[in-house]
Amino acid sequence: MHTKPVPVPDEVSAPFFDGARDRKLMLQHCSACDGWSFPVRERCPHCFAAALTWRQASGRGTLYTFTIMHQVMNPGFASAVPYNVAQIDLEEGVRMVSNVVGIGNDALRIGMALDVVFEDVSDDIRLPKFRPVAG
Amino acid sequence: MPLPADTDVSTPKYLRDKYAIVGIGETTYTRGSDKTTRALGTWALRNAAADAGIKTSDIDGMLSYSNNDSTSATFMAGDIGARLNFYMDCVGGGSSTEALIGIAIGVMEAGLCNCVALFRAMNGFSQVRIGGTGARSATPVGGDMLHNRAYGWQSAGQMFAPTFMRHMYDYGTTPEQVAMVKVVHSEHASNNPKAYYKKRYTVDDVLSSRIICKPLHLLDCCVETDNATAIIITRADRAKDMRHTPALIRGIVGRCSKPRMDMHYQTGPISRVGGYYAKDILWPNSGVGPEDIDATGAYDAFTFTSMLQLEDYGFCKKGEGGDYVSSGITRLGGKRPNNTSGGHLCEGYTHGMNMVIENVRQLRHDIDDSCPIGADGKRQHTYDYREGGCRQVKDIELTANLGWANPMTTSGMVMRRG
Repeated sequence: MHTKPVPVPDEVSAPFFDGARDRKLMLQHCSACDGWSFPVRERCPHCFAAALTWRQASGRGTLYTFTIMHQVMNPGFASAVPYNVAQIDLEEGVRMVSNVVGIGNDALRIGMALDVVFEDVSDDIRLPKFRPVAG
Repeated sequence: MPLPADTDVSTPKYLRDKYAIVGIGETTYTRGSDKTTRALGTWALRNAAADAGIKTSDIDGMLSYSNNDSTSATFMAGDIGARLNFYMDCVGGGSSTEALIGIAIGVMEAGLCNCVALFRAMNGFSQVRIGGTGARSATPVGGDMLHNRAYGWQSAGQMFAPTFMRHMYDYGTTPEQVAMVKVVHSEHASNNPKAYYKKRYTVDDVLSSRIICKPLHLLDCCVETDNATAIIITRADRAKDMRHTPALIRGIVGRCSKPRMDMHYQTGPISRVGGYYAKDILWPNSGVGPEDIDATGAYDAFTFTSMLQLEDYGFCKKGEGGDYVSSGITRLGGKRPNNTSGGHLCEGYTHGMNMVIENVRQLRHDIDDSCPIGADGKRQHTYDYREGGCRQVKDIELTANLGWANPMTTSGMVMRRG
């Protein structure tokens, strides 16, 4: 039985995964240019300042685009197909990759409102995922 | 076409037509070559030298690219009996062919060597398959993979599919339109004795093939094959002594990229690809525009990658790629055929090399189809493009190759009949 890949955080990305464990979506914010960034970087991708701090993001966003996987490219996902991979535009202005849960793949619509939920993938790791906003 | 203010074209302008592709070579396109990449590379290089009408020892520069799935110039040079004055093995995929031809021109112009052979050898079906899937997926995920592999996003098709989804949403592009890329390329392949897949397909065939990752069906995806390919580049004045009409290199853009190559989808519309930026280098460098081009070689790793590149290089308006590829323009006999060999969807997967090789043959007016060979040793082309017939584009003078690494990086090249 193959398992899904489990992220191994490094010293730079640890706050993201520490936050997820506490069910908080943490993003880097630059105090020099007020820009948010994702994924994890050592310096701000907008202004290259090193003044990045971790802040809790709203967890709200909209579905920008997605695809639905039918072919098993990774044996860990053999029991998951068909599953979606989505890109979500967060309110903070960054776009992240995740899965939309709590909804059938056929009901996915670009532009739909989403908010973050957290799913356990191992004893130590939780991953942020997204679900449709009720109503 | 106006130039961006910060583009210096003084040098490229003077290199137009100064260098040429004089030799092309390939192995068979197979699944299960039963040969090492070293043996395949040697085979293709010898064929390219014979095609040029030179001795392999006349090659004194060598370039290759791979993703650790090939062999290197250090082995190839000895195997073909060449003493090199320059060589470089690069990491890279689909945007490499045109970019490395640009490097070849640069090093020859700088006086480092005189005759460069570029090769790509790969057992892309029987050994290292593109995408790092299967057992290689089981490694722990760290670094930037943290934010994609853990969610089940890793193969090329998976990575590119969201771009196509958003294009459909923004512009109303349909899978039926894009399936025409496969239909047209399969028509071309049916007239190509070398093609791995020679069968002609219909739109229904594509749409009823099994879904890989929405909206991509199996037949939207390119073939995986084992093969090597080689291209020989030298100065145009030396090309006069060689066997074939040279394909003069008008202009190149190499590995031109969107912002944020690491996470291209972070920046701007995801359906914008590297060609959006590359067009402003390729066309001024070449001194021609899309409307001048007689045939294209737009990289078809997937049906819609051809479409996206044709759009962003300016062969049609943004968002009208679906109409362009389903209109008949890209078909043999149409205004501007694309991938007349059948490309990666049908002929074989070579990481871009075979699309350049095809256009070199087109520009020689000596495409290797099934037309009869005349007394002069050249095929007597019928321009009858029905199945099993001709593949030669009539009176072709200018071609454009549009290479694709991924949505963020592209290389391009314009060639002219010498």
